[in-house]
Amino acid sequence: MVRNIKTALALVALTFTFALQESVYAQDSMKHEDKTKRIETGSFHGKVHKTSGRATVYQEADGKLVLRLTNLKTSNGPDVHVILIAAKDAEDDANFLKSSTERVELGTLKGNEGDQNYEIPSDTDLSKFQTVSIYCERFNANFGAAPLEKF
Amino acid sequence: MDTRIGFRLSHRKWILAAIGLPILVSAWWAFRPEKLWINQKVNDPAPFVSSTDPQPLYTGRLEGKAHQTSGRATIYRTSDGGQTLRLTDFTTSNGPDVHVVLVQADDANLTKEIVTDQLDRVELGQLKGNQGDQNYDLPAFIDLQKYNAAVIYCEWFHAIFGVARLEKF
Repeated sequence: MVRNIKTALALVALTFTFALQESVYAQDSMKHEDKTKRIETGSFHGKVHKTSGRATVYQEADGKLVLRLTNLKTSNGPDVHVILIAAKDAEDDANFLKSSTERVELGTLKGNEGDQNYEIPSDTDLSKFQTVSIYCERFNANFGAAPLEKF
Repeated sequence: MDTRIGFRLSHRKWILAAIGLPILVSAWWAFRPEKLWINQKVNDPAPFVSSTDPQPLYTGRLEGKAHQTSGRATIYRTSDGGQTLRLTDFTTSNGPDVHVVLVQADDANLTKEIVTDQLDRVELGQLKGNQGDQNYDLPAFIDLQKYNAAVIYCEWFHAIFGVARLEKF
């Protein structure tokens, strides 16, 4: 009986607290000089070769997009490129890319370690090309992939 | 007799070499096996972000547990040396007595929606709003290797609204 009353009271309290509270919208700012924004980021997982690090898309004040790889560690190899692929799920960032996978070329991999920047063509639709791939063109091999999410 | 055999042997060697060498060279060109031992390190600067801007240290996406929760949690180091957790793109349910806390990502409580035993946590403050961008200062001496998950936690009902596992930025 006592337990029932307690439960009922708790339920009433619950209803009130949830019914009375509206959404509270907070808007803290961060001291940025507002020149360059990070818009997307994701971390690498290795596919054909062990790959780790982070990929971040920056947008500069003039709208130019830059992909920056940080703490990258992958295997060295022949004819390795950085590309964006039109992939949403794991199936599309498989070990070997399907020829039908749409891609945007960003350039030859500058080095298999370290921090490096690549320009993204201005007409690239990032809502479509959502994954960065370290891609060996010669063997059609996906060394590693980083799915990008909103920063 | 001997010289003829010798001639034929070396003739065969020449043929072998003529066929074998191009194969070896093209195999080397295709695989570049020496690259397995050669690392090429690059260090492009990030010239487009001012060094006085807050630097992101850790980041992760929020996943909903007891309530639908989404957004990003990022820990920044500010120019004065302090650390701040910032929630962006953030939405969760409103509720009573909701806090932002840091816990250990491997804490078994995080697999549940309602915590039944003590949750080992670092308090960052009451949730300022259930939507919008918001900052929470971190205590000075906090081990971020240990407390590597941000949790939206309702103290009243011990409910985990959402969890973001933080990865190195």
